[in-house]
Amino acid sequence: MNAQHHVRHLLSAAAFSWLLVGCSAAPKQPEGADTVRNKLTQLQSDPQLATRAPVAIKEAEVAVRAAEQPSQDLALGQHLVLMADRKVETARARAQTRLTEDERKALSEQRETARLDSRTREADRAHRDVSALQREIAELNAKETERGLVVTLGDLLFETGRSELKGNATNNLQTLVAFLNRYPERSVTIEGHTDSVGSREANFDLSQRRADAVRFYLQNQGIASNRLMTAGKGEETPIASNSSASGRQLNRRVEIIIANSPVTVGH
Amino acid sequence: MIRLMIKRWPLGLSLMGLLLLSACASEPVPPTKALQAAELAITNAEQARVADYASPELGVARDKMAAANSAVLVQDMVLAERLANQARVEAELALAKAQMAKAKVVNDDMLKSNKSLKQEMQRNPGAQ
Repeated sequence: MNAQHHVRHLLSAAAFSWLLVGCSAAPKQPEGADTVRNKLTQLQSDPQLATRAPVAIKEAEVAVRAAEQPSQDLALGQHLVLMADRKVETARARAQTRLTEDERKALSEQRETARLDSRTREADRAHRDVSALQREIAELNAKETERGLVVTLGDLLFETGRSELKGNATNNLQTLVAFLNRYPERSVTIEGHTDSVGSREANFDLSQRRADAVRFYLQNQGIASNRLMTAGKGEETPIASNSSASGRQLNRRVEIIIANSPVTVGH
Repeated sequence: MIRLMIKRWPLGLSLMGLLLLSACASEPVPPTKALQAAELAITNAEQARVADYASPELGVARDKMAAANSAVLVQDMVLAERLANQARVEAELALAKAQMAKAKVVNDDMLKSNKSLKQEMQRNPGAQ
């Protein structure tokens, strides 16, 4: 027993001296263990990944610690290093997967924002269109009445006593066509009016023909005929006195009454 | 007496033989648990269509599984267990990598569609 003790002392002294020189024979960490430890440390200090796979990272930590155990069994050491390495890789992949999934929430939020933006833009565009139309209607001197929006086309449309549209009349009517195209649910009543010159019957007839001429024009522009009604009012509804030339001019007119509908065009 | 002895001998011998046999059979025990776990991990990876995303890792797992089975045949059970364990972690890594790749594909698609949505909006900037 004593002799054995002595030998042990000698051996440890020898080991100590070897350590001082630079120990090579003592059991040491398997090759590659430090590399795996570095990989794990990198993963653990990555703020994006460290918290995203806690269980896998813990398993990897256990495996790395096992691989770091000094051992003289080289094959076992290499085996443990490989196991640890794959576990660290697996933990990293799982954490990265989780991070990607978490980023997905932000991506779908971005998509929603983009969609909302495009919807807002569409609404803005629609709003701008309505405003533009309001301006156009205003240019036509439309008036909001109980019967609806009334656009009065002066006698500039026709030569005296004639019912054919003048060439430049179509500019005025084009605005109306644009309006009717944009609001396909609206229908219009076209009313012809005359001054008191000539017989009542002739004026009724003339006013009807003028209303029909406007209706024909609008139909040719692609407005469905069932949206267009006409009425010849003759000289019965003057808006000014027929005793003066200027009054009579005001009375010679075609009124377009745009029916009220759910689509509102404000002032 | 002698006849009795003779009668008993074969019994003793056969008992000894049995003992020997059972001792022989029980010494190298195949690492059944590790082999099954590895087999399961490989099956899991195969079912998750890992081959589409992480085929090299899965190939390594299969090779190690085969090596583990060979080690069982030559009764090197220590090696067999190590190889089985390695096959398992390789298969688990293959699965994790495939899931990572799949998740990335989904995100990339979303990014792409977000981008095209934005481009579409820039092409139609409201006013006509």
